[in-house]
Amino acid sequence: MNAKRILLIVPLILGAVLIQSYFWVPSYETQARGNPQRLFKFIEASIGDAKILNPILHADTASGRIVDLVFDGLLDYDENLVLRPALAVAWAVSEYVYLLPNPDVRLPGGGTADAANIAAVVSAALATGQWSDLRESVSDVEVMAPMRHVEHIVDSSNDTGRIDDVVLQMPAQVRLSLDRVRPDIGARLRSVLGEDYFRTPQYLQWVVEANGVDSQRLQSHLSEMLPLIQHNPLIVFQLRRGVRFHDGHEFDAGDVKFTYDAIMDPKNLSPRTSDFEPVKAVNVVDRYTVEVVYKRLFSPAVNAWTMGILPEHLLNRSAQELEIERRGLSAVTREAFGLRDSEFNRAPVGTGSFAFVEWQSDEVIQLRANERYWDGAPQFENYYFRILPDPLTQEVEFRTGAIDIYRPEPHQIARYKQESAYQSFSGLGRNYTYIGYNNRKPLFSDPQVRKALSMAINIDDIIHYVLYGEGEAITGPYPKTTPWYDHDIAALGYDPDTALRLLQEAGWQHNADGWLEKDGREFEFNLITNNGNLVRKAVLTIAQDAWRKIGIKCTTQVFEWAVFLKDFINPGAFDAVILGWSMGADADLYQLWHSSESGFGQLNFVGYNNADADNLIERIRREYDTDEQQRLAHRLHRQIAEDQPYTFLYAKSATTVLDKKIAMRNAVGQFVSIPPTKSGDTFYYFNRWRKLEHALQ
Amino acid sequence: MGSYLIRNFLQRCVLLIVVSMISHAVILLAPGEPSEVDPSNPRMKPEDIAKIRAAFHLDDPLHVQYVYWMRDMVSGELTSFKDGQPVLPKIWSRFLNSLPLFVCATLIVWTLSFPVGIRAAVTRGSLYDRSTTFIAYGLISIPGFFLSYLFILWIVEGFNVPVIGMATFGMQDAHWLYRGMDQLWHLVIPSVMSALAGVAILSRYVRSQMLEVIGQDYIRTARAKGLDPDSVIYRHALRNALLPFVTMFGLMLPGLIGGSVIIEQIFAWPGIGRLGYDAILARDFPVILTINFIAAALTLAGTFLSDILYAVVDPRIRLQ
Repeated sequence: MNAKRILLIVPLILGAVLIQSYFWVPSYETQARGNPQRLFKFIEASIGDAKILNPILHADTASGRIVDLVFDGLLDYDENLVLRPALAVAWAVSEYVYLLPNPDVRLPGGGTADAANIAAVVSAALATGQWSDLRESVSDVEVMAPMRHVEHIVDSSNDTGRIDDVVLQMPAQVRLSLDRVRPDIGARLRSVLGEDYFRTPQYLQWVVEANGVDSQRLQSHLSEMLPLIQHNPLIVFQLRRGVRFHDGHEFDAGDVKFTYDAIMDPKNLSPRTSDFEPVKAVNVVDRYTVEVVYKRLFSPAVNAWTMGILPEHLLNRSAQELEIERRGLSAVTREAFGLRDSEFNRAPVGTGSFAFVEWQSDEVIQLRANERYWDGAPQFENYYFRILPDPLTQEVEFRTGAIDIYRPEPHQIARYKQESAYQSFSGLGRNYTYIGYNNRKPLFSDPQVRKALSMAINIDDIIHYVLYGEGEAITGPYPKTTPWYDHDIAALGYDPDTALRLLQEAGWQHNADGWLEKDGREFEFNLITNNGNLVRKAVLTIAQDAWRKIGIKCTTQVFEWAVFLKDFINPGAFDAVILGWSMGADADLYQLWHSSESGFGQLNFVGYNNADADNLIERIRREYDTDEQQRLAHRLHRQIAEDQPYTFLYAKSATTVLDKKIAMRNAVGQFVSIPPTKSGDTFYYFNRWRKLEHALQ
Repeated sequence: MGSYLIRNFLQRCVLLIVVSMISHAVILLAPGEPSEVDPSNPRMKPEDIAKIRAAFHLDDPLHVQYVYWMRDMVSGELTSFKDGQPVLPKIWSRFLNSLPLFVCATLIVWTLSFPVGIRAAVTRGSLYDRSTTFIAYGLISIPGFFLSYLFILWIVEGFNVPVIGMATFGMQDAHWLYRGMDQLWHLVIPSVMSALAGVAILSRYVRSQMLEVIGQDYIRTARAKGLDPDSVIYRHALRNALLPFVTMFGLMLPGLIGGSVIIEQIFAWPGIGRLGYDAILARDFPVILTINFIAAALTLAGTFLSDILYAVVDPRIRLQ
């Protein structure tokens, strides 16, 4: 019977057609089946889309990931987080020291402290044995011509932010040229120029136009901005020759200068302005040499040059005008047109290892290998950055080979480490979590008490149970992966008995209710943290319980982030707080730990105040010798660890899981498994990665 | 009949306008603001928000907004709040993505339900009948999204093959045959998942319809004539049982739009259901209203079509 047969055969055929397609689809193990190009593609996924693909403007991680591949900085970090050459092949640090005349005082020789006399005294000191060690560093002592100087003074008395220009006619100054930075030169000059010279001069005598700024404010501002001895460190970058942007245009010194100018252009609203604030000028010496002059001694400033360099020829004024013309923008838009409005941010051109191809919003960003990359073309030919907002979808796609990398949730990590089809990398991040004590409060003013509080908490248990083992205990304020962290400093350890003994030595005794008491007051305080972070909330409870065991009464509260900052952290109105820092790679801790940074809304909100630490922090920013800097940083680390203004809890590690078939091509062209790096950066060797048909044994 | 069709058509046009007015009012009066003018967004300045609100006509009276919407939609100038793209081409491209899913799911439902249902009716009370009944009610009761997730996990863990999206990512440069088969495979799982409940329901209909027809006198007559059982079932019974299903073809039309919002969401399928869902979350009024309008139009067209089909296949029915 026909109808019966049709009713049976049609669904069978349909089913067969649909099911057979399964045998054509690549599985996780056979990703290259019918698709050999798959081995040359790297596919990554992100929860959120990129926002702006411009190295001087972006502020989100997704954009940062793409920008890092498309753009190169002058410098770069190596696997120990030490700077290494990138677009610059070499850089040399030297300095100019400017000496201001002080007409009202006399030098030890009897002459007035004008430029000629100062130069003579300094030259004489160099000629005698007095400064024999300095003689080889100082290459020149010159008297400079007098010049006009314009100082911009921001009116901070109200919110208008009005800037007044004050014009000065500066007298002739003396300039010492040094072939390396000598932070100690001020102290050395004191011995030859005499104490008198260092009296603050009357700046008003040089002011030509005050523009209505009152003289008292002017004097205090100028004495800060124009000190008698001014260090102007100088970095000379030798640029790599023959590097080309992805459009074929050659990279040169003009691009570096343009990038700096673009950052400082207020119209562009760059979030990197503060990194480049210490720069006085960027000068193009020749096509392949750039000279950066700094306003003062500030060694961490060199780290800012790891930022990507923009192509001038695509973004300068004439290129922008062409774009305005092409897009037919209105007069109003034309007026305000800045880098942020350029279409470049959606189709960037850099010098990086990958060149931009396409960006489909909320879908995918595609890059292709830069065959002419100065450090060798990447092994992968294509790079895809997929936007998959759902973490479950990401995991499913990863397990079927449609994504090559996955960042598992903490509870999934143990499982992924066991599965043989994947390789996993654990890297310690540059972040840490701590309990900060309000050092201003009498309750926490004694370092022994803070030490006792730290010893009462079992940090290993927190790492094991709350972080699923994905973290490490820390002893101080630096990230563990940087050279600044001193691994020799011993952890306080979990020791509630010693903690109790320390508290008893400080005068705290158990009262009838079992709480610690001193002078009729119980040891009681409030521990707070922000809402929305489950790990911090768990630590809150653990700390409360640990302290209760030795007789400390601790109440806890959780606040919304905005309220938390506004009502508690900014005014310093709290007892103890659980928070975390995300650190940079440099050794500068000024903002977090210097006593001058403990005012309203500043970052040293626990009010840590130690003169020795302040001195170390200042010396670290003025020191250009990395070995010396490391020694100072280790001393600072030890000092802060002894003072325990925080209980340093842990640094979290981030685990990434990769397809096991991805391997690294070594120097002789063999494929080997990807080695872990000290800095925890899984992608350090990314240019040499490739996917193989079968995993290495 | 001609005058009936014209009258009916005009009635439906009026109804469509009434529906569009009501749905316009409901959608705009529902709480929530388009994400572009969300006052709680800290990056937006009040004056910018006011500017955008004016450009979107959000502060005009409801009936004026309705006129703007209708005018722009008819002239094809209606653009989405979210990205400023014209709405109609956007819906059309998403519709083309949804179409294969819809066609494949419908094919599965209609080809599978009949043999399953007929057999259950013929062997009423047998183990087969009872187990298909059980499975059918099971499939109707279990939420589709739950079953879909289980199925995805099973396929991914058991076979390590991709199931999410319209094609495996990274296949762009593969041979066309592999690419085609890959796309077909990506169609299989979501269409099976969206067809499951349909198969369960439709096979129940087929069963009950067949049972009703088999109990009729003319079937007994056919059997009494000595016809072989297959002729009785597939010629005399099935043809009469099919009548109500013909009308269901018309009712499938609105399923073209928003037929599988949940499935598209789970399988990250860039179809029209997901477009509507995302638009609702972002209060992208032009997109929501237009999809809604098209759905209403298709529903009215579908019932219109089924009326006509009924008259065509059943000579006893005359439209007047």
